[in-house]
Amino acid sequence: MLARMEISVDSLRRTAALAGFAWTDAELDAIRPAVQRLLESLAELERLPLGAVEPTTQYRVL
Amino acid sequence: MADLGRMIATKQVSPVEVVQAHLDRIAALDPKLRAFITVCPDAALEAARAAEADLVSGRTLGPLHGVPWAPKDLYSTKGVRTTGGSKILADSVPGDDASVVARLARAGAILLGKLNMHEFAYGPEGLNAHYGDTRNPWSADAHRVAGGSSSGSGAAVAAGLAPGSLGSDTGGSIRIPASLCGITGLKPTYGRVSRAGVLPLAWSMDHVGPMTRSARDCALMLGAIAGYDPADPTTSVLPVPDYGAALTGDVKGLRVGLLRASFTDAATPDVRAAVESAAKALEGAGAVVDEVSLTHVAHVATASAVIVASEALAYHAPWMRARAQDYQPDVRERLRLGAFVTGAHYVRSQQIRALLTREVDEALARRDVLLAPATPIAAPVLGERETTLGDGPSDVRAALLRCTRPFNFSGHPACAAPCGFTAGGLPIGLQIVGRPFDEATVLRTVDAYQRITDWHTRRPAAA
Repeated sequence: MLARMEISVDSLRRTAALAGFAWTDAELDAIRPAVQRLLESLAELERLPLGAVEPTTQYRVL
Repeated sequence: MADLGRMIATKQVSPVEVVQAHLDRIAALDPKLRAFITVCPDAALEAARAAEADLVSGRTLGPLHGVPWAPKDLYSTKGVRTTGGSKILADSVPGDDASVVARLARAGAILLGKLNMHEFAYGPEGLNAHYGDTRNPWSADAHRVAGGSSSGSGAAVAAGLAPGSLGSDTGGSIRIPASLCGITGLKPTYGRVSRAGVLPLAWSMDHVGPMTRSARDCALMLGAIAGYDPADPTTSVLPVPDYGAALTGDVKGLRVGLLRASFTDAATPDVRAAVESAAKALEGAGAVVDEVSLTHVAHVATASAVIVASEALAYHAPWMRARAQDYQPDVRERLRLGAFVTGAHYVRSQQIRALLTREVDEALARRDVLLAPATPIAAPVLGERETTLGDGPSDVRAALLRCTRPFNFSGHPACAAPCGFTAGGLPIGLQIVGRPFDEATVLRTVDAYQRITDWHTRRPAAA
């Protein structure tokens, strides 16, 4: 999984391109530590037993 | 605001005098505080003269008639630029007012100008590279942040440049500057107040609400802006109660849950002592206080960041493709993170959201309100990156968001109010959280606390 390995600028460039963004290597390198931290945090969420929990899809509007 | 409205209604002061006095304070203090992005002296004085003429002819619009105010600069204002604190929208002039701006105008309130903010509301420090960093009026040498993202609102109300403001709150952006600047700020229930005409940060987490000097003034503003709006499909059709009438001062038998782990126990010693002292004060007034913990808050920071990053990038994507260099660096970096979040991450975060919402509901099933710090620290120094909390070292930004963000996640109403000062003279804020659409009990609790304490009446020396 992406979250459990060292994130490279190359992998960030390809992911950003899929989302339609053409950021420079310098720009991607600058955010690489933050992306790494975010994906590590997300890996923790993935370990939670949330399978049967209905996600919030609407906001208690009465 | 309530006092000003009364003095205007009884002709002790005229709207023109009140507006001019605020414009004079802005001219004198704002060059240092940088609370305003745009000031509208001519339009404000013209509106004040019209309000005065109405009063003379016996026509009044209610308790806000002739009372000045100023919104965060992400509320659309007809004919007045609405920048969102950005370079991108520096010359954007809306053709209409946001629904709540129009409601306040119909209630007779007079717009003084537009207030500074963290660019596009994406930051809890209140920093702005385009219009200047708002300074906290409580730091004598102006080197501490006002808190964000509604930084100008916090500083302007604290320093007496405006008696009231509307902020917006996606992770704490009303309550954080309220806490750091020593004022009272209410994030209403999601759906209680229209967001139509307000620039979004993250649609499912954004709330708008009043920032004033007291719970009474928050009640006054909330009464004017709350209620169903066909322009915002998330607004509720529930009737709007008389919030002022709810302020009885009586908290006898009120059940208060003091949030311990991750909230009060995570705060710095002076904040913790002030919040515990507030709990005792409420107990002394007849409330019944017990302790409560929310286990699912441990995952709120990540899940909330995922939701906000995803929704924010969805809104900003066209500009992030064409004008990324026009964003200030920290905001640009946060927006970029959204490109690396998947749909599965977003849904998983919404599952956490459902769990936390249920847990807060359960805590409030046996209690009327919850009590916690609004922020676990007082105002940090500009540029400060690390701090130490009761449970260890923390990034300053994460610390500022820690106690407020869970209730954007859950949508419950929450109000920040002053409850003391640090040894260094900086304000400390508590937070009262209530049941959905029960802002009346939240405001009653804060008002009762403000009747037995005077923290909210203190003013910074610089102001």
